[in-house]
Amino acid sequence: MMNISIRQLVRQHNEIGIILIAILMVTLFTTTSFDKWANAYNLASIAQITATLGLLALGASLVMGTGEIDISVGSTFGIGALAYLGTVATIGPIPAMLLAAVAGAAIGLFNGFIVTRFGVSSLLLTLSTLLVFRGVAIALTEIEGLSFSVPYDQRSGFFYQLFGGGDILGINTGFWWLILGLLLLMAFLYATPGGNRLLAVGGSAESARSRGIRVTRVKVRAFVICGVLAALAGTLEGGKLGFADGGMGRLMELQAIAACVLGGCALLGGRVPLTGVVVGAFVLSSIQSYLVVNGVQPQWFMLLLGVIVVTAAISDRALRDWALRSR
Amino acid sequence: MNSRHINIFSRRPDFGAIVGVVLLFVVFSLVDFSNWWSGRTLGNILQFTAILGCIAMGQALVIMSKEIDLSVGSVYGLTGIAYVTLEADLGVPGAMLAALAIAGGIGFLQAMAVIKGKIPSMIVTLGGLFAVRGLIYVWTGGSAPTMPRDSRAHWLNQLLGGELLGIDAAIFWTALLLILLTLVVWRTKFGNRLLATGGDESSALSRGIRTDRIKTMAFVLCSLLAGIAAILTLADNPQTHVTLGDLMELEAIAAAVIGGCLLSGGRGSLIGAVLGAFIITGVRYELISLGAPASWYITFVGIVVIAALIFNQFLARWASNQA
Amino acid sequence: MSATSNNSHPLIEVRNLDLHFGAFHALKNVSVSFDSGQLIGLVGDNGAGKTTLIKVLSGIHKPNSGEVYFDGERVKEFHPKQAIRFGIETLQQSVGLCDNLSIARNFYLGREPIKHWFGIPFLDFKKMREASTKVIRTFGLRDNVSADDQVEMLSGGERQSIKIGRAVEFKNRVVIMDEPTNHLSVREREHVNELAQQLRDQGLLVIYITHDIHQVHKLADRIVIMENGEKVTDVAKHEMTSDELEEVIRFGGRDVEKEEVTV
Repeated sequence: MMNISIRQLVRQHNEIGIILIAILMVTLFTTTSFDKWANAYNLASIAQITATLGLLALGASLVMGTGEIDISVGSTFGIGALAYLGTVATIGPIPAMLLAAVAGAAIGLFNGFIVTRFGVSSLLLTLSTLLVFRGVAIALTEIEGLSFSVPYDQRSGFFYQLFGGGDILGINTGFWWLILGLLLLMAFLYATPGGNRLLAVGGSAESARSRGIRVTRVKVRAFVICGVLAALAGTLEGGKLGFADGGMGRLMELQAIAACVLGGCALLGGRVPLTGVVVGAFVLSSIQSYLVVNGVQPQWFMLLLGVIVVTAAISDRALRDWALRSR
Repeated sequence: MNSRHINIFSRRPDFGAIVGVVLLFVVFSLVDFSNWWSGRTLGNILQFTAILGCIAMGQALVIMSKEIDLSVGSVYGLTGIAYVTLEADLGVPGAMLAALAIAGGIGFLQAMAVIKGKIPSMIVTLGGLFAVRGLIYVWTGGSAPTMPRDSRAHWLNQLLGGELLGIDAAIFWTALLLILLTLVVWRTKFGNRLLATGGDESSALSRGIRTDRIKTMAFVLCSLLAGIAAILTLADNPQTHVTLGDLMELEAIAAAVIGGCLLSGGRGSLIGAVLGAFIITGVRYELISLGAPASWYITFVGIVVIAALIFNQFLARWASNQA
Repeated sequence: MSATSNNSHPLIEVRNLDLHFGAFHALKNVSVSFDSGQLIGLVGDNGAGKTTLIKVLSGIHKPNSGEVYFDGERVKEFHPKQAIRFGIETLQQSVGLCDNLSIARNFYLGREPIKHWFGIPFLDFKKMREASTKVIRTFGLRDNVSADDQVEMLSGGERQSIKIGRAVEFKNRVVIMDEPTNHLSVREREHVNELAQQLRDQGLLVIYITHDIHQVHKLADRIVIMENGEKVTDVAKHEMTSDELEEVIRFGGRDVEKEEVTV
């Protein structure tokens, strides 16, 4: 116990990297921009953004854990928001949320089915699904007579507030949903047979299959959970904003993947540090917020994001190689 | 032609694309004869096919080495914008070279990240897609530069962008590149090594092939071709916009895949990629002229790629049964 | 637990099995049958089809034509889950362990012990740890290796021991071992061979793949030789000596003219 080396620590706890980075970052941002970035209002806003991005990223991390990738989450997010906002006024928050969840599950099912049934690359397939449903979302918002905004008098209902429309302890309810989601997923992934099998499939699908595990089912299940989480995240965002347009969720897919990589997820599967993923989402939201409050053009964020993804992937790989070079 | 000839012909990687083109002509002639066969429509389609085909050929090279490049659309956009923006300071030839150098440089950087950083090309080029797109926004500040009138009349622009013998120059240049590249891939050592690297990297390595260098060349060529396509586009029409090249990476992949490139590497066809580009462009034009709303285009590209991917799987299975 | 096969049919029967991988003809019209309480030595040169055959039996590959019968019933679905359900436990040569998981998790992969909390099945970590620790100590893993260590960090011999321990722990009606003595020391090899015989004595069918024809000749009741995807020899131990069997493997089991190999 006393002889645990740093290498071992890094090997076993992949979140360490991103947590250290987060601490560094918060220190840096606070000292350079105290009143603008580190104030209560801004932090609450970061918490809300982290919530939606975090839920997206958690779902994406499960799929990544099986060795696949789902980059359509941005569009599923948008569809979820539209499904919720388009119907909440008529059928109420809970049925509307369930409808959004079903839509997300359907998209996830489609993704999982095509990938496993035809053996198609999940990156390319979900990139296409991303486009397909982005177009569907745009088309939906262009239909005459369909409204995707919630009238103000409805916005004070209890359940509406619960699903993103209100605050608990000064922070948007979405954030608390994130915490709940994180805890549930941690229990699933680390403490149930289903989670064990998901990680096994990501580690070696062939070996898992040879032990009798239905790899197809495990992967499809991961895609479905991812779709549901993405749609629910969209619901929460829609609940907060009170309205949606066809472009909702644009770019969030890359942020979700970036959060996963930053958090220490293995790109090829088998390693899913869930807390790391949420911290990664926090780091990205904080950076975005920092740029905004300091008046930097938002386009810089897209550029930064691309660079961050590649750098994070390279560093993660290098760190892993280093940590493995001991016995 | 006896059945043996047909058998050999059907084994070509681009067989599917050839059939597709024939089908396209038949279906559209039946559905929309007068519009389809008008010189204007076909002319537009062919010109756009040349541009997309150029990019698709680059993508085909990368796919044949068993990698992928998702950033080509953004590289296309950046090169175009660089060309127009730098023209004021460097003149037309200088700007052209500088823009192409930028394109090649991005290809090289990505290759390094894949090879030295040991990360999948999917992720590197995905990051590249967004980074370069972001760079475009940052550089232009959101506004779209264009070239002044007298620069448009420069002989280089005329050569690359005007009309030669009544046909758009882009078509000539792409055809030339097609012939050149086909010779390179199927008649030179480099091409041989490229296919070997994509087919089975470990046995290529054990035969002494420098797969790292081969892949780097493929990535650089791919980005260069995207850059060339941008120059060809802008030589013809120096109007730029910040979304220049949006979605083209996926169209290029779809074109290459329809054209017979196996995503698992080692097999493909450059003329197939161009034919694939023709199919995609043709269907898009016809859909629009038949009245489909423009916002459906995104969904359309997505569906085409999905269909192409599934088709690719069946092609791969069929190919391995033949080998 | 140990099943004695019905006298009317063999425990496992394979008829006219044919399998192609693309253009490669891996199994050519293979027919063979096995009964319980036997130790079968399955031998042959590299690429002969031994591993391919047992992969069909363990459900990993689906044949292109031919039938497989488990206890008289025709196998319709080829998936490792079905094979396990029938009672076949396999020690594969190159697959079987997930590097990213701990020893305990690998051990129980696919048959995780559970404890219910509010109706939800959770992993019974205590049981997993205790049982897998007991097994790995029995198989001589170093004392500072614990059941929670990632398999990634283990040596080839240690991994092999885990696979063997797992096969023995979850044995049912059939145990298939593909090159079980790989990476093992001499003493460990003896241990494995003893285990194989014990399993046979308990009434199981044991299929033992190896390159070492002399070793397996001592252990086995029957020897089956494969070559180029075909079964070329199927004899009881006493019918041929191990030297004669080695001849068959080296020089081919068919009555064809072989060119003289000059060195």
